[in-house]
Amino acid sequence: MSNALSVIGKRLPRPQGPAQTTGAAQFAADIKLPGMLIGKVLRSPYPHAKILKIDKSKAENLPGVEAVITAEDGPKIPYSICNLSGDMQNPELPSEHKDCYVFNDKARFVGDPVAAVAAINEYIAEEALELIDVEYEKLPAVFDPIEAMKPGAPKIHDYAEGNVAEHIPYAFLEGDVEKGLQEADFIFEGTFRTTKQKSAQIEPNATVANFDHNGRLTVWSSSQQPHPARRQLARIFNMPEGKVRLLSPFIGGAFGSRQSFITEPVCIALARKAGKPVKLEDTREEDLSTREGRQPQILTAKLGIKKDGTITALQFKTVADAGAYFSHSGAVTSLCMMDFLELYRCPNKNGEADIVYTNTSISGGIRGYGNPPAMFALEQLMDNAAKTLGIDPIELRLKNIKRAGERGYGMLPIENTALAECIKLGAEKIGWQEKKASKKEGVIKRGIGMACAMHCSGAYPDLVEQSNAFIKLNADGSADVTVSATDLGQGIVGALGQIAAEGLGLRAEDVNVTYGDTDVTPFDDGAHASGSCYTTGNAVLAAATNAKKQLLERAAKALGVSDEELDTREGRVYVKTDPEKGIAIAEVVRNTIYDFTGEGYNISATGTSGYRGSSPFQATFVEVEVDTETGQVKVLKIVLAEDIGRAINPMTVEGQLEGGIVQGLGYTLTEDFVVDMNTGCTVTDSFDVYKLPTTLDLPEIEVILVEQPVASGPFGAKGVGELGLIAMAAATANAVYDAVGIQVKELPITPEKILHALESNQ
Amino acid sequence: MRKEVTKFTVNGKPYEIILESHMTLLEVLRNKTGHTGAKYGCGTGSCGACTVLIDGKPVLSCLTLAATVRNKNIETIEGLAEGNTLHPIQQAFVDYGATQCGFCTPGMILSTKALLENNPHPTKEDVKEALSGNLCRCTGYVKVIDAVLAAAEAMQGGK
Repeated sequence: MSNALSVIGKRLPRPQGPAQTTGAAQFAADIKLPGMLIGKVLRSPYPHAKILKIDKSKAENLPGVEAVITAEDGPKIPYSICNLSGDMQNPELPSEHKDCYVFNDKARFVGDPVAAVAAINEYIAEEALELIDVEYEKLPAVFDPIEAMKPGAPKIHDYAEGNVAEHIPYAFLEGDVEKGLQEADFIFEGTFRTTKQKSAQIEPNATVANFDHNGRLTVWSSSQQPHPARRQLARIFNMPEGKVRLLSPFIGGAFGSRQSFITEPVCIALARKAGKPVKLEDTREEDLSTREGRQPQILTAKLGIKKDGTITALQFKTVADAGAYFSHSGAVTSLCMMDFLELYRCPNKNGEADIVYTNTSISGGIRGYGNPPAMFALEQLMDNAAKTLGIDPIELRLKNIKRAGERGYGMLPIENTALAECIKLGAEKIGWQEKKASKKEGVIKRGIGMACAMHCSGAYPDLVEQSNAFIKLNADGSADVTVSATDLGQGIVGALGQIAAEGLGLRAEDVNVTYGDTDVTPFDDGAHASGSCYTTGNAVLAAATNAKKQLLERAAKALGVSDEELDTREGRVYVKTDPEKGIAIAEVVRNTIYDFTGEGYNISATGTSGYRGSSPFQATFVEVEVDTETGQVKVLKIVLAEDIGRAINPMTVEGQLEGGIVQGLGYTLTEDFVVDMNTGCTVTDSFDVYKLPTTLDLPEIEVILVEQPVASGPFGAKGVGELGLIAMAAATANAVYDAVGIQVKELPITPEKILHALESNQ
Repeated sequence: MRKEVTKFTVNGKPYEIILESHMTLLEVLRNKTGHTGAKYGCGTGSCGACTVLIDGKPVLSCLTLAATVRNKNIETIEGLAEGNTLHPIQQAFVDYGATQCGFCTPGMILSTKALLENNPHPTKEDVKEALSGNLCRCTGYVKVIDAVLAAAEAMQGGK
């Protein structure tokens, strides 16, 4: 019998497909409980204001209103908006910033919650909001992080001098940067600015919360990390963790924005006050103007390089705009620094970052985390160097990329890397040599560019990277897998089913995966850091391996052979040297459960992931057309090659990369998050002005999966979720540079910026 | 507030609903008739998640006042499958990996149904045009377009 994998690598449709395509899939906003109230939030119209007095009596007296809450109603426990804080975080890292309450005594951005209402319907809840009288003392506000650091700037949090929440030096210094710069034949430097891209998942955030008669709290939450979120919510509401249950409904996209508390705290506070279930749903305007976006960076970088292309020094400085509350800012910024400093081999490197509060909406950890801004800077400097040195950008990268064993993401040694293959294959597919050689003259110019990236499979050692799984075998030869993975659309549930099936020797359709209930599922660190398939996958595989061992022991008795002689495949136990000889898994399990000798039991097993990590790599190639009369950049073709380790389900993996590429296209060209510098209001608070890519913006996209399995991943898999997006802005900027010789150092790359640069060049 | 009884059908079934004049079709479908497959994504007609068919034409239900659908036939995502047998468009979306989170999917499928009824042999460009009002943040549209083209082919074969 062949040793080839029978389930891994198959393009299987996701198990949720029928529910998703028929309207049966229930998202948080679709939930209706008996007696459920509708919540609405009153938000500050001022970017910075003390809340002196709130009169809620008129709102409370409106018929149909069941609860009106403000800071007075508590809870008065400060917390970090980031889910991945507290016990999740490595104690050696800088401390978390518990800088937020459910309602704060001062508003720090336009949209900061001030009060909330629960009423029998949304019309009454909205009317009640208008009846709440708030007396504000307006304070001067600051929206730009550089301004915020200046002496005399308005102070946003009492503890943060100069509004600097944290100054972070690079923790993994190497060599001597001054010496490295002296050794360099050329030094390239630049300041790059990136934007607060919104996650803009199509489902606005929603939560339902209910306390039962025993005081137990159930929350239908779209959190990416149900277990860590449960622990944090229990702390905020001063409850034992076991009294809180998180259920995951269908989640309408997340992209990192749901690894923070969103609608949960206010919804729970309303349910507690009202003594009834409450549903709280964001409007799109609330989503775009108040929820987390990608942390903007003002990044000043230096690259020292010799004539032969050897990098001698890398220096990184950034001012990171945290917005009004700290949330993920510490991790995003320190990883941005690491992403910049560790992709290429370099003996001399240092870096530092200031994380600065401003009176703007909160910056969070959006798909790619700190990596896209880092690559936007690094890969443009690399192309500067390539041009000056007269070396092909591809050759320059091939010369400097790291090999297996060198330090990779999170300082873990690189387990394996197919980056060189990714670069070569991508170049071939996009026609790099031919297109570099042939330049189009005229008004519309063509260009081609590329950029690389290294990312992660889980956030070890920064976070507790731990997943657990439980598997039991049923008497009909099927298996039930219980895990706390969260399916945000990435397809993790299907992938875990495939891993379990392959690990047990079952067919994919014989495996059922249960998830989304913290009462039932074992601890899991949740969906983040491109790590679910790797980390939860390892837990599932460990559980499957344990269950299979028991299965083989029972089968060995039945067949009169030793268990070492046996293996499983597609629902059958067979003798390795004589595959015709065997027994159906269903028969073994049935005889193990329905066993009248007194030796019977239900074969079941748990498995844990262990703490590991493995760096995936990728190379992105972009071909553009730039209209020199209008400044319009049109992306014609994108090729992305990923070092995936192993694609558990290639269709799902392609979907992750394609989705990331197009989200990256928006980040690069059209998604500008604009705050009015006089009022602090978000200008881009609807999809009419905040422009996501549509089908009409879609270039030709080709995804290449380079499979070189790693020992540490389940069947060799590495992370994929974030990798499509990371290098898009960098590769596109380099293509524009190739087309018209202009480097756009500020995102998004708009026609105005191109035209302005073209005019300045003349 | 003015209230009145309005008759219309949803997926072939007759409804008589007491409407307040300000209510949108989306609110009525989600809160009164239980068709939660129609989604609120933006409320400004920019995302297409609320798309339903009125007399066969795709309409943004978040911008449609419910009072205007008197005596009309509304089709929502819940009306496509026959029992557990998916409509060929639904089946193609499942088979081609065209759903990720699935939130935009009902609108995408209904826009596709309207397209294929008018144009059974669409080109890739026709598909892009027809779905340009339906935002998706997960898929990058690549597999959605593949699924629509596959559905068009499957529906030819079936008829």
